[in-house]
Amino acid sequence: MSRNRKSNQTNSAFDALLDAAVDGIIIIDAQGIVRRFNRAAENMFGYPESEISGSNVSRLMPEPHRSRHGGYLEHYYSTGEASIIGSGREVAGVKKNGETFPMFLSVGEIKGGAEKRFVGIVRDMSDVQAGREQVRQLEEQLLHADRLVILGELTAGIAHEINQPLTAIAAYADAGKKMVSRGPGASGTEINTICERISEQSRRAASVVQRLRKLVRSGAVSKARHNINQIISNTLLLFEFEIKKSNIELLFFPDESLDELYVDEIHIQQIMVNLVKNSIDAISESETSSGSIEIRVSSDSGQVLITVTDNGPGIPAKYRDRLFESFFTTKPKGVGLGLSICKTIAAAHGGNLKYEQRERGGSRFALSLPLEFIG
Amino acid sequence: MHDPVVCIIDDDEAIRESLRLLLFAEDLQSIVFESADVYLREKTPPACDCMLLDIRMPGTDGLELFSILKKRHLPFPVIFITGHGDIPLAVSAIKQGAFDFLTKPFQEGELLSKVKSAISHYQLDRKRLEELRALQTRVDSCTPREQDVMKLLAKGLPNKGIAEILGISPRTVEIHRANVMEKMSADSLPALVKMVTSLES
Repeated sequence: MSRNRKSNQTNSAFDALLDAAVDGIIIIDAQGIVRRFNRAAENMFGYPESEISGSNVSRLMPEPHRSRHGGYLEHYYSTGEASIIGSGREVAGVKKNGETFPMFLSVGEIKGGAEKRFVGIVRDMSDVQAGREQVRQLEEQLLHADRLVILGELTAGIAHEINQPLTAIAAYADAGKKMVSRGPGASGTEINTICERISEQSRRAASVVQRLRKLVRSGAVSKARHNINQIISNTLLLFEFEIKKSNIELLFFPDESLDELYVDEIHIQQIMVNLVKNSIDAISESETSSGSIEIRVSSDSGQVLITVTDNGPGIPAKYRDRLFESFFTTKPKGVGLGLSICKTIAAAHGGNLKYEQRERGGSRFALSLPLEFIG
Repeated sequence: MHDPVVCIIDDDEAIRESLRLLLFAEDLQSIVFESADVYLREKTPPACDCMLLDIRMPGTDGLELFSILKKRHLPFPVIFITGHGDIPLAVSAIKQGAFDFLTKPFQEGELLSKVKSAISHYQLDRKRLEELRALQTRVDSCTPREQDVMKLLAKGLPNKGIAEILGISPRTVEIHRANVMEKMSADSLPALVKMVTSLES
C-alpha cells in the first residue's frame, strides 16, 4: 500500500520533472520506439506526445541518420561503443512540417530496469546558429570594408593602370586612321599590327578592372585550391604605380616548387595588400631614398612561409605588443583594423601572422599557412 | 636641314610604341628609350628636335633628366607626358623651361600639333642660332680696331665723328670701314646695322 503510493508519487514527480524541463526530453526503448515525449519536445518538433509515442525515434531525424539509426543501436548492443552517449553533439532534427533545425543532443542510458531504455535531451540551437551566422556576416562585411578602404588609398595607382592602356589605344587608333586616310598606300600588315595592339591594350585595361572587381566583391567567399605565387603576383600588380611613384624597389621571390594551397584567394590577397601597403607607408614616412620591399615564399615542415620585409624604420618596441590589437594604430588616418583582420584571416586558414624585428632595422611580417589544410 | 627626329622616353612599352607609330604615320622619325637611365648611358646623346618625356619613371625620373639636359646645354624642346594627378608637377616643369606637357590620354591631334610646334620652334631657333654663329665668326675675323669702328658705325656716327672718338684720321676710318663692310659681307650700312643689333640682342 505505502509502496504503491510511493510509486505513484514518484511517477507524478517524474511527469512534473519532464514537463517542467526547458529542454526536450525523449525516452526510447531498446528498439528505438518513443516511450515518453515531454512538453518542450512537443513544442520543438510539433508533434503531440500521443502522436509520436509508439513511433520509431528515427522519424525525428533527417536522412541518412533516419535509415541508419537502427544500425547505430545494433552496433551499440554488439560492441558497447556509442560515440554519442555521455558526450553530446550538435545534430539536425526534423519537425512534423518537414523543416530541419540544428539541435544539441545528449543521450543517456537508463540501466537497471526490466527493459533497456535511452533518454535523449535536445536543445534547439536555431537562435545560436542564427547568431553565429550574423557574426560571420559582420566579419565578412568588416573584411570587405577593409578592402574598400585600401582600394580608396590605391585610387591614383588604379587610375594610372587603366589610363596607360587607354592612352596607347587612342594613339594606335589615331595612327591607324592617318594611315588609312592616306589611301591604298597603307599596307595591310601595318593596319593589322595596329588592330592587334589595340585589342591587346583593351585586354590589359580589362584585366585591371577584373582584378579590382575580385577585390571589391562582397559576400561569402570560399576556399579552393590556388597557386599562392600567382595570388601574390596578382596583388603586387595593384601596387605598381605606388611603388614607382615612391621609387621603391620591389623584389618578389616565389617558390615555384609549391603545390596549390587550399585558401580563400581574396582573403590572402587582402593580407598581402595590407602588408605591402604598410611597408610602402613606412618607407615613405622614413623618407629614405632607397626603399625596398622583399616578398619571399618558402616552404618547409608542412607549412608555407610568406615574408614581407622592408627597410623602413621598423616598429618601435613600445608598440610591438599591440600591433595586432583591433583599433590600435599609429597612422594619423588609420583605423587600426588592418593587421588584426589579417591575423584573423591567417587563423581562419589554420595559419598565423607574426611580426619579426630585424637586426638592421626595418620590419618583417611572416605569414605561415599549413600546406595541407582542409577547413 | 635634316629630317626632324623625336626622342621618346617612357617606361611603358605600349605608350612608347603607340607614340612611335603615330609619329611615323605623320612621317616623323623617332628614337625610343625605356628609361632616362638608358638614355643617359648613351655615350653621345642622340640628336633630336623634340623630346617626349614621361614625368614618372623608375630610376631617374623625367624632371631629373630634364635638369640634367639643361645642365648639359641640350637646347631641344621637351614635352612632358603626365597623368592626371601630375599636373602641378607639369606646371613646375613648364616654369623651369619645358616646352609643353601632355596629359594622358591625349586628345586627338593634340600630340601631333604640340610635337610639330616644338619642332618648328626649335628649327627656327636653330636657324637663327646658326646665323648668329656665322655672324659672330665674321665679327671675330675683324681686328679690334675694326670692331670699334663697326660699333660706332652701327650707332649711326659719321666717319668724322668716329675719327674724333677713336683719335685717328678720317682717312684711316675710311679704310677700316671698307674692311668691315667686306669682312661682314654687308652690302650697305643698314645691313651692317641690322647685323650688329641682332648680335647685341
